[in-house]
Amino acid sequence: MRGLAYSVWLRRELLLTLVLRNLKIRYKSSVLGFFWSLLTPLCFILIYGFFAGILKFNDGRPRYFEFLVVGIVCWQFFLSCMNDSLHAVTGNVNLIKKTSFPRIVLPLSTVLANMVNFLLTSAVLLAYLLVSGVVPVNFLWLIPALAVQAVLCLGISMLVCAGNVFFRDTEHFVGILSLAWFFVTPVFYPLELQMERLPDGLEWAAFLNPMTGIVCLYRRGWMGHPLPPGAGLLVSAAAACALLAAGLAVFQSTQSRFADEL
Amino acid sequence: MNEPVITVRNLRKEYRLRAAQRTLKSSVLGMVRGGAARGRRFVALDDVTFDVFPGETLGIIGANGAGKSTLLSLLTGTVKPTSGSLSVKGALSSLLELGAGFHPDLTGRENVFLYGAIMGIGRRQMRERFDSIVEFAGLEQFIDQPVKHYSSGMYVRLGFAVAVEVNPDILLVDEVLAVGDADFQRKCIRRMGEFRDSGKTMLIISHDLPTIQSISTRILFLDKGGILGIGDPQHMVEEYESLNRLRATRDVRREWGTGEARIAGVRFLDSGGAQVERVAWGSPVTAEVSFSAMKKIDNPVFGFALSDSAGRLIYGNNTQIEGFRIPFIEGEGRIRLVLDGVPMSSGLYLWSFSIHSSDHKVNYHRADNCFPLEVESEKQFEGLCHVPCHWEGLENG
Repeated sequence: MRGLAYSVWLRRELLLTLVLRNLKIRYKSSVLGFFWSLLTPLCFILIYGFFAGILKFNDGRPRYFEFLVVGIVCWQFFLSCMNDSLHAVTGNVNLIKKTSFPRIVLPLSTVLANMVNFLLTSAVLLAYLLVSGVVPVNFLWLIPALAVQAVLCLGISMLVCAGNVFFRDTEHFVGILSLAWFFVTPVFYPLELQMERLPDGLEWAAFLNPMTGIVCLYRRGWMGHPLPPGAGLLVSAAAACALLAAGLAVFQSTQSRFADEL
Repeated sequence: MNEPVITVRNLRKEYRLRAAQRTLKSSVLGMVRGGAARGRRFVALDDVTFDVFPGETLGIIGANGAGKSTLLSLLTGTVKPTSGSLSVKGALSSLLELGAGFHPDLTGRENVFLYGAIMGIGRRQMRERFDSIVEFAGLEQFIDQPVKHYSSGMYVRLGFAVAVEVNPDILLVDEVLAVGDADFQRKCIRRMGEFRDSGKTMLIISHDLPTIQSISTRILFLDKGGILGIGDPQHMVEEYESLNRLRATRDVRREWGTGEARIAGVRFLDSGGAQVERVAWGSPVTAEVSFSAMKKIDNPVFGFALSDSAGRLIYGNNTQIEGFRIPFIEGEGRIRLVLDGVPMSSGLYLWSFSIHSSDHKVNYHRADNCFPLEVESEKQFEGLCHVPCHWEGLENG
């Protein structure tokens, strides 16, 4: 494990270069280029705002719209990590077959590139929140939120990109999984809705989905929502760590066979 | 000699053979059907053992599928051996494919740094080398263009330039001499020569035999995943060529007969009686035919024919035509066919020998095109065979 971390540290230049490459390629040959990183979330917010307004999507709670946008933004980060990971290894066949480097930099750079994007989006989100009168006084909670989400994203990313090397079905599976995952995460409905439906004493089960805890942390950080009761957050953090461990185990035990499989 | 930089011991690499990309469905079906479908394996390398010492240039030759590229992939570390061990000391740069890490949407400049990062070279060091890379590749005008707009030649030039400029301890080169124009190839070979002369270690795969023979200090000759030989470049290239010749004759060789008498073997001997596989034009050569007869055969006839490598007949005769009487043969024996001077131009020639009855009704054994002999010729003439003649009697106006 320490050997792995050290090997990645030795190749930090490669990691950085790949992160930059991922970011550059995303906006290559588009006129607005890097501005899309800011423009896309802005348009998202506007569209959600427009339709949420028309459809009276509001369940009556105050600040429903900000509530929705915070959820969507962090969900998007997770989703794009998962989708980009599908091709993190299989899209670099030449690199895998012809060159030697710690393979783990591929999922790592995918997650980091998406994180950079997410941070830019967060800047837009902050501006939007300030404009609409929400001041994130509890912003320190954003740090654990980001940390747990990074752990989760890396774990999922390694599982997905290793899986896709051996089974191209992974792509379809991920499409379905992400939709289901979206609905079990309180993005557009409040956490309480889940809590009410779970039997007494088993509320913590909702937090086995790490994204549930993560969304709660972001809402705490951005909008000062109350933290969920009990050890929910710890359950989510533990689940994220378990996924990271699983991802590492799968990725490291299969990576030597990547070149043979591709 | 000092410590080897590359140590390879009993290296084996197997690949699983599959019809197509594995899917969840096919692997579930595979599990249901049991091991039968999973058992098919292809052995790319088997029991390969050798050392490479610092400063050596090891050429690797062999036919397609001999395992050359697999060997370099294993040394690069992109694939793992099935069994056996290998160790590499020092920074290794591999040119398994020129421009392998390039991304089409990035510019030449961006790709140079990406490539450097893949090879483990920092941005700062790359910046110092950047100008010489661009100059070597001759791409000053195009370096800020996306590489997808490059011609294949430009792509390859940039790839080679980066790989040699990262200045590794060990350079692996897989068949890159085959690309680029003649001018760039000369540049590459010169650069590799400089690299070798600076005391670095190189492993080169090439089908360009004269070049690899001239640049290598030793040659490793692989065939069907195993080592056929390692050593003196000229000797190894000759071995490889003679194996190629043997393979080339496979299509035209034919053997049949009753088997009552057999041609056990043919040795070609030079004037000193030493066995040879190649002879020079004009020099004498003797074909010594050993035979064995199961029973006593009266008045047998030995025939011979000489063909080019495609099996086209050049000349043939037999002991009957030549009036060489053989009362009988029995048991093991030998007979010689003597050519005072080899008349053929340079190339590969296939010899046929036969034993048949004097009335040509019974063929005891015929071995058509079974015995190759290479001829080297300095003598210039047109056609396959030299016909003794001369010019004379010029009369002018």
